[in-house]
Amino acid sequence: MTAISTPEPAGVIHDIGYRHYDGARLGRGHARVALTRHSLRGAFGLGRSFRAKVMPFVLLVIMLLPAIVSIAGMALAQQRGPVIDYPNFAATMSVVLAIFLATQSPVLVAPDLRFRVLPLYFSRPVTVGDYVVAKVTAMSLALLILQWLPLTVTFVGELLVNPPGDPGTGRYLASMVLSVVYSLMLACLGLAIASLTPRRGLGVAAVIAFYLFTTAVSQVLTEILGSMSQDDSAGWALLINPFYLVDAVQVWLTGASAAMGNSYPGGASGPVAALGIVALTALGGAVLILRYRKAASA
Amino acid sequence: MTILATEGLTKRFPRVTALDTLSVTVTPGVTGLVGANGAGKSTLIKILLGLLEPTAGTAQVLGLDVATKGAEIRRSVGYMPEHDCLPPDLSATEFVVHMAQMSGLPRTAARERAADTLRHVGLYEERYRPVGGYSTGMKQRVKLAQALVHDPRVVFLDEPTNGLDPQGRDDMLRLIRRIGAEFGISVLVTSHLLGELERVCDHLIVIDGGKLLRSSAIGEFTGVTQTVTVEVEEDSRPLAARLGELGETVSAAGRLLMVKVRGPETYDAVRDAVCDLDMSLIRLEQGRRRIEDVFRGSAAEIDETGQAGRTHETTSAAASGGVTV
Ligand SMILES: Nc1ncnc2c1ncn2[C@@H]1O[C@H](COP(=O)(O)OP(=O)(O)OP(=O)(O)O)[C@@H](O)[C@H]1O
Ligand SMILES: [Mg+2]
Repeated sequence: MTAISTPEPAGVIHDIGYRHYDGARLGRGHARVALTRHSLRGAFGLGRSFRAKVMPFVLLVIMLLPAIVSIAGMALAQQRGPVIDYPNFAATMSVVLAIFLATQSPVLVAPDLRFRVLPLYFSRPVTVGDYVVAKVTAMSLALLILQWLPLTVTFVGELLVNPPGDPGTGRYLASMVLSVVYSLMLACLGLAIASLTPRRGLGVAAVIAFYLFTTAVSQVLTEILGSMSQDDSAGWALLINPFYLVDAVQVWLTGASAAMGNSYPGGASGPVAALGIVALTALGGAVLILRYRKAASA
Repeated sequence: MTILATEGLTKRFPRVTALDTLSVTVTPGVTGLVGANGAGKSTLIKILLGLLEPTAGTAQVLGLDVATKGAEIRRSVGYMPEHDCLPPDLSATEFVVHMAQMSGLPRTAARERAADTLRHVGLYEERYRPVGGYSTGMKQRVKLAQALVHDPRVVFLDEPTNGLDPQGRDDMLRLIRRIGAEFGISVLVTSHLLGELERVCDHLIVIDGGKLLRSSAIGEFTGVTQTVTVEVEEDSRPLAARLGELGETVSAAGRLLMVKVRGPETYDAVRDAVCDLDMSLIRLEQGRRRIEDVFRGSAAEIDETGQAGRTHETTSAAASGGVTV
């Protein structure tokens, strides 16, 4: 290294010369964690403008409303049980989760596509797999926060109010575990749909459309089949809505009642719903990998 | 030591052959990669980074094969793409810190390196503002900073002067020179303007249609084409004639005479001729400006301003954003 002694033009100050970096160079795991953290912050608009924070935080507050109502209710009536039982919470609040998924999935994936940031990642040690894993983890964690926070607030409230009877510890823990599966599936689906377009608005619309479509089809079919007294088929039609898949699994595994007064067909519906979750999660993941493989070489 | 080497490197897209059995070797220092639009410059860089797979042939970066050692290569190189690549809602600092972490730097180190690197590329207070509001010149600096932040051994700079005004071009070129000379980082820089790379490169590679036209040290380029520009107050034609008699190769460009430098004796000949004819010498300039003429055939395509065929005075000015003397 040689120091430059020639005068530089005004505005360019070279106080110290270039120093080489001889510190640690960590592996891809570090990059994955850093990208996850960066994306999770992005999902809640942290470090971004005020406008970017509005939507995620409004939705988080809405998710917390049932918790507040439940605690107040339990305190006043001195009766056990939140207004929405723990295992039914996610499915009952699916609209809010769907809106969060729709508005925030494109926030995680669209800018890198639209502003062509991907070559900067893939010209580094980061691989397509690392990128997809980090994004899916971040979105899953964001959805988990939306469920774990109200579930835990409600449960702590129940313990503090301590109305007569046994606390719903088992059902609380089961719903905490199931929300992980639920979040992972939703994150894969939401991100996969959002990654198909570099335009954020279009991504939001596409995820919402997916939610409305599956919900409407399943609802209409259920109503029609129900009115024809085909109760078993009506129950199966409910499972067209991916948001009810996890609910059906929790009914199967915990024996709790279904959300929203749904009734899933007995017998095979639980395992079938579980398979459905695995299939949808895998499908979302595969779409993401293929999408980014293609983007990496563009 | 070689920085990179390709052997019969070929890349065929469905409709075009972007690289055609290209074999080049690059040694440490600043190397310019020159070619017209579509010559295959970006394709070569993407193959070297492992972003694209070659159809045939092999390539090595820092002695590592791109086909098998891609991950290792990407740890030691920096890349500045030709296109925009900055998310507008992040500040330069946040973005460069993030990219440093993506290269494996721990968080505190990433912060320090980002601050240092942004200062080296000439971004100061503005680095805390969102990139979306930056000028093209500032964006190019951020793009350069993210390529340097992890202290790579080689950087690939794809058209770093693209979209810059003459002042911005000069600043960028000076920075590139510093990266090679002062930072000790080898540089492969592309441009479709020979004139501007000539000023900062140690070595030039010219490709056209994916084929190698020429690869040689900058001295060899200028060596063969060294000229001296002579301007006199009087009519220059008698001087041209006189120099011709003395065995010099002279061409006129308006009022100016370009004399090919054979050696020190050429300067003596000019001095003697001017004295003999009792003329007043206005200027005698040594120029390495005829580099375009080395490729007269391809120069017209290479120089996007399309002025290669005119007097070299204008060509050079247009190509390098200012006359280099
Ligand atoms: N992904 C692709 N698919 C098909 N053709 C491509 C692709 N990328 C590049 N090409 C073609 O390959 C050729 C070389 O392109 P390349 O981008 O390497 O040129 P370049 O020298 O970088 O040009 P420029 O100065 O315009 O950046 C061009 O004809 C281009 O159209
Ligand atoms: Mg290019």
